[in-house]
Amino acid sequence: MKVTICIGSACHLKGSREIIKEMQDLVSARGLKDKVDLNGAFCSGNCVKEGVCVTVDGTLFSLKPEECTEFFEKEIVGRL
Amino acid sequence: MGVTVDVAYKSLNKFTEILCGDSVEILKTADSDILILADGMGSGVKANILSTLTSKILGTMFLNGATLDECVATIVETLPVCQVRGVAYSTFSILQVFHSGDAYLVEFDNPGCIFIRDGKLMEIPRSIREIDGKKINEFRFRVKKGDALVLMSDGTIHAGVGQLLNFGWLWEDIADYAVKEYGKTVSAIRLATAICHACDELYMFRPGDDTTVACMRIIDSKPVHLMTGPASNADDDERMVADFVGDPNARTIVCGGTSSTIVSRVLKKPLDVSMDYVDPEIPPIAFMEGIDLVTEGVLTLNRVLQLLRRYVKKESVAEDFFEELDKPNGGSMVAKMIIEDCTEIHMFVGKAINSAYQNPGLPFDLGIRQNLVEQLKNTLEEMGKPVTVTYY
Repeated sequence: MKVTICIGSACHLKGSREIIKEMQDLVSARGLKDKVDLNGAFCSGNCVKEGVCVTVDGTLFSLKPEECTEFFEKEIVGRL
Repeated sequence: MGVTVDVAYKSLNKFTEILCGDSVEILKTADSDILILADGMGSGVKANILSTLTSKILGTMFLNGATLDECVATIVETLPVCQVRGVAYSTFSILQVFHSGDAYLVEFDNPGCIFIRDGKLMEIPRSIREIDGKKINEFRFRVKKGDALVLMSDGTIHAGVGQLLNFGWLWEDIADYAVKEYGKTVSAIRLATAICHACDELYMFRPGDDTTVACMRIIDSKPVHLMTGPASNADDDERMVADFVGDPNARTIVCGGTSSTIVSRVLKKPLDVSMDYVDPEIPPIAFMEGIDLVTEGVLTLNRVLQLLRRYVKKESVAEDFFEELDKPNGGSMVAKMIIEDCTEIHMFVGKAINSAYQNPGLPFDLGIRQNLVEQLKNTLEEMGKPVTVTYY
């Protein structure tokens, strides 16, 4: 599964760094390194949304750092 | 032959003094680069005024084609006479390197110029001429790529006098040190800073005299192209990218997420974005075949501007500045390329307004690209680098 997190200027200010850190921790804690491929990306042109742009297998989400764990369970683990 | 130079200097103030009694002028004419170092008698305000007057008079007159004799005569008549010592006095060195490779060196009472070629110390013959009772060494020679020339004030050879060293740091020993550092350093500013730092250590960080080291390295011209921001009309994207990558000799930097996506699309090269947050305040860099450096835009450029400003204000340029410059974050990498590896810069700036940035909820005003570009341009000009800006 390919997960892409935007690190463009606007998303960076909304917390890309925290999300990347938390995602990386979650992926290694669950031993999912072989299944979940985390990537960075520059602006996908959707920065108008509230949170950081995250795409999971092509589907776009807008994610705030505090929602990260819940999101990970639902949209990433839930789809595996 | 198109000789280009990398020129920079570093000064230490005499301990407790706020002003430096040495002055350096770096000038460009249509066909040459000029480096002037003057050391005013005494220290503090008086020395600063004497050396500033001397370097400015020399610079202004040289730029307007005056002869050395006229310059010296003017200085002698202009400098205020010191009440304590009853003389008007400032030493000076002038180094002029023409694009043709011809060089002209004038020295009056400063320690001799250190001339390094192919990793060895070269002797500069003395050819003393007397002008207005002053013995002046005037010498013409040729330079070639790779040469380094170091001018300095006598604070260098006095370093450590009576403390760590009986007779100060001898010219020959400074020259040996310069040759050694020449091999290790890539840019004029690193060489100047290294020698100055060594003097500071010999003075045990309390310089007994104003100390200045000015370096000129003869290098190839190194143009840098920097693209930032999408064109205001998307139809111009291709033209903008074509201009940006149009010079095979120029190194290329893209600063901007959307801009790099455009470059990637136009050049049909994939963009590989790193997730490695080496600096928490600046988004990670990215990689693209054919482009030397790819970074985020406004936040990175803001950091670049801060670093360049620090560089322009010489007093904060020391070892810790280079540590910062050597860090692998986007801001440091762009600043390092501009400071150490660039003789001229061409900026390709898109004027499109990113609607996402018009968001009052963001903690930083991202809509300041053009303002940043303006400030960058001014700072680069202060650094003596020719800048061209093209808007799209």
